[in-house]
This record gives sequence, C-alpha cells and structure tokens, in this order.
Amino acid sequence: MFYYYQFRITISYVLTYSIWLLYDHVFQFNVKVCSATHKSLKRISYQALLIILQNLSLINKLTMAESTQILEGFLCPICMTDFKTPNQLTKHFEEVHNDDPEILKSLKDLFGKAKKKILKQDEYPELFDSSTLSTTKSNSPEINWGHQEIGFTRSHTKYFKEIRDARLERYSTETNKLLIRLDKLLRNLPVDPIDRKNHERTIVPWIDDKDVNLCPTCAKSFHIARRKHHCRLCGAIMCHDCTMFLSLSDARIMTSPVSVQDDSAVSPTSSESPITGRFVRAGIGLTKLARSPSSGSLNSVLSLVNDPASGEQHFRLCIHCKNLLDARERLKLRQFDKPITCQFYEKMRSYMEEATRYVSMYNKMYQSLSEGESTYNLRDAQILRSKIAKIGENIDTISKKILTFGVKDAENPVQGLELKLHQMVRASAVIFLKEQLLSLPAIPTEEEYQTLQTARQQRIEARIEYQKQLEMEERQREKKKEQKREIRSVADVGSSATKDQLVLDQSQGWGPSSAPLLPTSMDPIIEQMSNLRAYIKQARADCKFDEVATLENNLRELQSAYFAMKHSNSSDD
Amino acid sequence: MNVVTALKFYITKMTEESGPGMKVLLMDKQTTSIVSLAYSQSEILLKEVYLFERIDATVRSDGLKHLKCIVFIRPTKENVALLCNELRYPKYGVYYIYFSNIIAKADIKLLAESDEQEVVREVHEFYADYLAVSPHLFALGISACSQGLTWNPTHLHRTVQGITSVLLSLKKYPYIRYQHSSEMAKRLAEKIREVLGKESNSFNFRQESNPILLILDRRDDPITPLLNQWTYQAMVHELLTINNNRVDLSNVKGISKELKEVVLSGEHDEFYANNLYLNFGEIGQTIKELMEEFQRKAKKHQKVESIADMKNFVETYPMFKKMSGTVSKHVTVVGELSSLVGQYDLLKVSELEQELSCQSEHSAQLQKIKRLLNNPRIRDIDATRLVMLYALHYVKHTNNDITGLLDMLKKRGVPEKYTKLIHNVLEYSGVHTRQSNLFDREAVAKITKKLFKGLSGVDNIYTQHTPLLVETLEDLIKEKLSTQVFPYLGNMIMSRRPHDIIVFMIGGTTYEESLAVHNLNKQNPGTKIILGGTTIHNFESFAEEVQHATTGTAPRYRTRNN
Repeated sequence: MFYYYQFRITISYVLTYSIWLLYDHVFQFNVKVCSATHKSLKRISYQALLIILQNLSLINKLTMAESTQILEGFLCPICMTDFKTPNQLTKHFEEVHNDDPEILKSLKDLFGKAKKKILKQDEYPELFDSSTLSTTKSNSPEINWGHQEIGFTRSHTKYFKEIRDARLERYSTETNKLLIRLDKLLRNLPVDPIDRKNHERTIVPWIDDKDVNLCPTCAKSFHIARRKHHCRLCGAIMCHDCTMFLSLSDARIMTSPVSVQDDSAVSPTSSESPITGRFVRAGIGLTKLARSPSSGSLNSVLSLVNDPASGEQHFRLCIHCKNLLDARERLKLRQFDKPITCQFYEKMRSYMEEATRYVSMYNKMYQSLSEGESTYNLRDAQILRSKIAKIGENIDTISKKILTFGVKDAENPVQGLELKLHQMVRASAVIFLKEQLLSLPAIPTEEEYQTLQTARQQRIEARIEYQKQLEMEERQREKKKEQKREIRSVADVGSSATKDQLVLDQSQGWGPSSAPLLPTSMDPIIEQMSNLRAYIKQARADCKFDEVATLENNLRELQSAYFAMKHSNSSDD
Repeated sequence: MNVVTALKFYITKMTEESGPGMKVLLMDKQTTSIVSLAYSQSEILLKEVYLFERIDATVRSDGLKHLKCIVFIRPTKENVALLCNELRYPKYGVYYIYFSNIIAKADIKLLAESDEQEVVREVHEFYADYLAVSPHLFALGISACSQGLTWNPTHLHRTVQGITSVLLSLKKYPYIRYQHSSEMAKRLAEKIREVLGKESNSFNFRQESNPILLILDRRDDPITPLLNQWTYQAMVHELLTINNNRVDLSNVKGISKELKEVVLSGEHDEFYANNLYLNFGEIGQTIKELMEEFQRKAKKHQKVESIADMKNFVETYPMFKKMSGTVSKHVTVVGELSSLVGQYDLLKVSELEQELSCQSEHSAQLQKIKRLLNNPRIRDIDATRLVMLYALHYVKHTNNDITGLLDMLKKRGVPEKYTKLIHNVLEYSGVHTRQSNLFDREAVAKITKKLFKGLSGVDNIYTQHTPLLVETLEDLIKEKLSTQVFPYLGNMIMSRRPHDIIVFMIGGTTYEESLAVHNLNKQNPGTKIILGGTTIHNFESFAEEVQHATTGTAPRYRTRNN
C-alpha cells in the first residue's frame, strides 16, 4: 500500500543500498504530510538508522558540509524518475506499471487529496508544483485539540467575606462609636481643666471609682502611687501604666474625613512611621507627663499646674481603645501607601499599552505595504515607526529610572525585595522592548515600494487574466449548450450607477449625502470633500490609520463621482 | 483536551483578575513547578508578575504594601496554617487567593477569621493541580507511590486530587474503567468515584464526547521503563534526566555557565517542539540543518560594513540571539547524548534489550548477555537492566540461568542496590499472577508484523518494542477492550465509541508511552487521548519505584545462595 504523495530520496544511501533495495522491493521514502502513513512514522526507517551510525562521528564535526542531496518531486516509486506533475505521474503509472492496480488507485486517491488541500490554500494553478509541497515540514499535521475553554472554577469569595465581615462587624461598630465620641470630645473642648473634665464626663460616662479595686489590665491594686485613671473614650478605669495618650492634633486628623487629611501624615515615603511614631511619642511622653485629673484629687490638679500645656494636648486612652483606633489608621494608611516608583511604573505601563496599540497598527500597515497595496500611506508608516521608537525610548528611560531609584540614597538605600522588584520591572521592560519593538520589520523604501506595487499590479493582472481564461472556457462550454437554445439577453445596465451612492451611504454617517437639494453657494459634494479632508487630518494626528484609509477611499470616490457629475453636466449642456 | 492549555487558562485568569499593577506570586513547592512548566519567566513578567515568593520559605523578607499578591497554593493543612499567619501580618497590600484543588469549608473559615485587616479580595479554587508536561501528558511528581505493593495513603490522596483536578480543568465527567488484576487500580478508581459523587455539583458538564478514564498499573508492563530509548525526548530523559522540563548538564565537561541547566519545553522552544518525537538519527540531521542555517546567518552578520548592514544587524539581532541560544543548547545536548551512546556501547545494549523484549531465543540471548556482561564499557545499570529483562522473560523457562547471571553481575562489582532489583522486579511484576504473558503477546504480534514487513520496510532493530499501552488503547478505541480485564466501575457501561480518553498509569508512565499516545492521537483524529502517571520514569527512577514497592513484601524469588 502506497499512501505517499511526496517522496524524498537521499541519494547517497540509495546508491549504496540500491541493489539491496531493488531486491527487497522496499523504497526509501521519507513520507511527508501524510497522516495515513502513521505506521511508518512510528519506526525509525532504515535511512535514519544509517544516519545514527554516521552521526556518532558526524555530530562532533557538525559544521562540516556533507553532500547528501535530496530529491524532491513527484517520483515514481518503482522506476524513481521524477515527473513534474501528479497527472504525469499517474499517467506514467497507467502506462508503465499498470500491472498493479492497487498502487495506482491509492496514488490517484492521494493526489486527489493533495490537490484539494493545495487548492484550498492557493487558487493559482501556476503555484501548483512541487515547491509548495516541500515547504511543509516533515512532521505530520498538528494534532487538533479542538476548542477548549477555561476549566471549572469555584469561588469561595462570598463565603469568605460573610465570615470575615461578621467577625469584623463587631470591631467596626466599636471603632465607629469611639470615633464619634472622639469627635464630640474635640468639639468645643474647654481649656480650663475642670471644665474640660466635666465636658468629657458628659460625653462619656465614667465608671464609678468605688466599683473598681484592681486594674482590669494588669490586675494590680490601686494605692497612692498607682492611681486610678479613666479612659476618655470608654470611661473604664485602669492604672497609669496601662493607659496611653493620644495628642489632640492626631485626634483631629483621625476624626476628619479621609480626603481632607494632611498629606504629611500619610506621606508616601515614610510608610509606617507616622502611625507608630504617633503612639510611641505618646508613650515616651507618658513618663514626663503629669497625670491628668482624677476626680477631686489635689495631686492631679497640682501636676496640671506644673505642666498644663502637655496635659491639655492629650487624651488618656486605654490600650483596648488605642488598638482599635490604631487598626483603623493602618487600614487608612494602606490606601495611601504608594511609593514614587508606582507613579513611574504606571506611566511606563501606559506607554507600553500605547506602544502595543501602535505596533499592531504598524504591523497591519507593513503587511499591506509589502503586498504593494495602496491602502496606507508610506509616509504615515514612517511617521508611526518613529513614534513607536520614541515611545520605546521613553519606556527605556523610565524603566532605567525605576532601576536606579533609591540605589544612590545613602541614608536609606533600597534593598531586599524592593530592589529585586525594581530589577524585575526593568527586566520586563527590556523583554518588552526586545520582543515588541526591536523586531519591527523595516518598511520598504520608496523605490522598493514602487517595485512592490508594480509586482502587485502584475499579480492582479495575472489573476484577471486567469479568471478571464476561466470565463472563456466557461463561455465556450455555455456556447455549446446555447447553440441549441435561443440566446437570452441578460444585460444588466444601470446597476453600476447606484454603486457610488451606496458607498457614500456607508460612510458612517457623515452628513446627509443623499439630499443635496438646495443649491448653496458651495457645491455639497465639494463641501463634503473638504469635510473629509479635515477628518483625515484629525485621524492622522491620532494615529488612526485605519480610518485614514477608509476616509481617503471615500474621498477618492467622492472626487470621481464629482468629476463624473461635472462631466455629464457639461455634456448635457 | 489539552492539559497545557488548560493550565495556561487558569494562570492567565489569575494574573488578570487582579487588574493592572505590580504583582507578586506566592506559591508552594509544587505549585511553583506547575507554574514554571506552563510559563517561562519572561512570559510571566509581561503579565506584570515581578516577584516570586515561596509561602514555606523560612526567612520571608519585608513586605511591600503597594504590591498585589496572588496566592496560588495547594490546599494542604500546612499551607492553610502558613497562609493564616500571612494574613494576620500581611506583607502586601491586597491578596487574591487561589487553591489548586478542592478545599474544605472549615479551612476557608479559618482563613476568613485570620483576615482581620481585610486584605483578601478573592478566594477561588482553580484546578491546576498537576504537572502538564506536553499537551497530552501530565504527571503528579510522586516518585514512589506504593509500599509493599499497596498504596501509600498520602500518595493515594495526592493521586486522587491530581486526577480530579485534571477532570475539572478539562470539564470531563468520565466513565471509569480500571485494570481488574490490580488492587491499587481498583482502589484509586473507587476513591475517584467517591469524589465525583461528593462534588456532583461541580461535575455538571454536558457530555457529548463520552469521556473515559482508564486506570492502569505499571506492574502490568514493567518492561517499557527498562529499555533504552532512541527518540529525542525519551533519550534525554533516560540518559540525562528531565526534571520539570529542565535538564541538568553541570556534569558535562567544559560546559559554559549558561548551559549548566537547560530548559527543554515544547511551549517555548520551537525546535524542540518540532523534534522531540524524532529519533536520534533524524535529530542529527535536523541539528545539522539548524547549524548550517545558523552559520549562514552568522556569516551574514560578520560583515557589517555599511550603515545599512549595521541597521540590518540591529533589526535582526534579537532573532539571531534567540536562534544562537537554541543552537548551542541543542548541539550541546545532542553532542552529550552521542558521546554517552558511544562511551557505553548503548547501541549493542539496546539491540539486545529489544531482542529480549520481543523475541524468544533463550540460549542465543543468554550467550549475548554473557558476552555483554564481560564488556567493560557497559555501565552497571545497563548490565542490570539486561539481566532484569532476561529474568522477566525467562523466569518460567526451565533452563533459565538467572542465578548464574546474578553471580556474573556480582563479580563485575555491580552495587547491591542494583543486583537486588532482579528479584524485586520479578516480585513487582508478579509474573506468576499475571494473566497474559507479555512476551507471548509480543511473539504473536511478531508473526503478524512479519506479514506486513514485505511492504512497509524492515523494522528498526532499536525500536521493535511497542508498549503494552498501545494495544490496550487501540482495543479501547475500537471498543474491543475486554470488560472482564478492564471492567467499568459501577453498573454503567458505555455503548458508544469513546472520543476523549484519559489514561492514568499508577506507578509512573514513560516518554516512550507518551510518544505512542502522541502517534495514536495523530492516527485517530476523532479521538483524543491524554496520558498521565504518578511520575515519568527513566531506568533510575523506575528502579527506585520497584525497590520501594517491594520493600516489606515476602521474598518469593530468593535464590539458594542468599
């Protein structure tokens, strides 16, 4: 069974083994593009085996030239002569080796298949020679894995958030309560310590001193040296060591809406320092600070007199309330925590996006131009190319900036993860430039373009010629039939006249093209044309060359319609 | 039905769901391999993922709050605990969490309770829980799945997870068939059905393709992993070992720094993709062509005289650079292969191996083995594998001389870990309990093959052996597979021809079988076959598998001497 439609012979081996080959009726055919020949693909053919043996010495001297010549074409598997076309080969078979109808049948079969395949790829008969076949790779067609979509996924986000939110709800109501109280405390805060205490007590009810014997946090008893203090936000009692201070200015920042917040408090460079600093400061201040007034205590009043300023500027808080406020601050901070590199990075990404957009446009233009088409303007392509190059430069400099960012900073050099991040960003930019921008094909020069255009012209002519020929044949055939019948005239005139109008209507709604009834000072078509020119200019400025092309097309059609109209007008006159 | 594409879909979705911005990928050991098989680093960099962290790293560096963190981990207890800790003290701004398999609700609850700072945005299951080596080949990276010829429970669990994730990622709800003679296959099949039943909501796909899951046991065909291979991929694995598509070349003398470890991936290396199934001879030819093309280009580059040349050079340089990388990589690998082949007389060994696996001529083959055992150039492992093949083939032969060969091995100074394998492999294969003698089957096939030979050309003596898998699969495609030997699980029986077949080999598959499946896929355009295994074996890893599998079993094949 011969399911081959293309054969390859390595001459040197054939010479050496031809005697054996003839004896055994086995042919050294390397089968290509033939899914039916799977059996032979599975095994190493003899030819390959010989190469194995050769290779052992060969691979070391791979660079050396070797003179194996490969015969390609439509070879007869029995007498090994090359026939230029499959038809000839089949014919040859019919004439010379007609003793084996099986082979002939399979050959014919395969040529039919091959023909179908090739004809699908290309309509021109002149390309139907062995050269198209040899371009296909020696391995058989890719396995078609069929359509595939993303596999099954399951989301737990909802369940996760339900549990999390239920848990965080408690905290957030508590925090909100504290914030509202803080806000109330700050409003109309009296300066006088006694008044201030009263003000505080009206907003937050304080727990009675008598109810608490031990500090609830550290469980130590209160005495003259360890006095009772009230948290200004929840009113609970604890000892001095278990309380913290929140400065009034910080409290104001906390209660103000996020958008009004002082930038310095959440400056991007010193990521977490403001918040920790704030409480540490309060903590340090603790030792120096006077105790704030507890009910009717002379000592506290005295200490207040000693250091009134600091006492006034702080609220005493218990650790619990402080933690809640602290967590909220941290959450808020995260939204603002964006180092300067982020801005650079975002800029770089936007450039990259722009570049990919332009590159795809450019590739389209390049394709069309190298085909010799005149859809796009050669100069436009050049401009676009230089634009892309400029963007590439921008990406390069920005990524370099990110790479070197903070490295020279003597005090606080970037290190560890951040440094690595910068390096990787740079690396990705380099890859992007390499893959996207450096591989851009060069546009043809003016002269090359000219030759390309003429070549295309010729191709078109050839095709027209071919089609004409087909038509001729068709007609001849028709004629034969029609000789018996009466000739019907089916000349269809006037259809071409509507064509221009149709294109105009399709031009995406630029003004009413169908109703130029009123004779204005300017001809509506001329007006239309000048409009179009303006659009083209605008589109070109935006690098939307697809639109430029369609618009220019429209313009040309308009012009020809205009001239045609003028011509007919003048002839009417 | 392409496992590589399935994984790519998942990973792409992961990187896209978090929107634009700099990202870090937080993984565990296994998911790192899974991702690295599907994507190269440069590809993933272009998806804005710039940093790669391991969740189980002992020293984790400080976080960067402006990064988005994509967490992709297996749903193990340890990983959940680590992630809880991570969420309590988050190092990054926001978290997108993806589990590679089904996760318990209780674990989700644990995580949710740890997320006090509300950093988590998404929690999903993306079933990318297997190593996709080729479009039709996956593995689970389990090196020795059985102990005492039964499942190691942790490995069984991992295998069930792996197979369910394959099914989910391909959206298949299959009929299950298993090898009746294998206890392990039956247990695995039952476990999988259990999961399918429990997760029936997830497995709610429209099934027009009649998918089938066939579970086989390596013990039924211990021959295939013993043989030397001659196709590119299989050969590289046998001689140099491929580990997650990476080949370690650091043992090669005078190797340059960048070639110490090379990546052989069909996804990123066009030359490899086109040639991985070609045999060594053809590879030599194509490498030569590649070299010539490269030299032509290199010559062109050498004469940079005018500005135009320069411009040309700059424009084609990236392509040129890429090509030179490919050329040097493959020339090095193939060069190394050919020097190993020459050094250890592998052609002679392989010829005898093939004879032992396909033909029955006891005395002649025994003589040949003895001759080769006296050849000092033969490696110990090659000597061992010849004796193993002999033992498997002739254990029931009345005049067999396993003891004599074993003595010869010992005289050669072959280490004990290899000599023990002879008995271990007999134990492993269970020659006595096996229904069909592998070699008889080969003999019958041989006769029919001879009839064909007149037309299709004489077989290559180095690739006479076809794996047992081929026969099984061909029968399955033709609906001729015996329901006695390979019963359906449960009462259902599929009446139509299967279009999608997923074969899983307990105890590891091989690249030779992968090639066979590749060819079957090509021959049967209507049918798609995917091959999986607990791992992908070469001789070394298979020896380990056999040794693990047979520890703790009663030795039945002890010779009188020991």
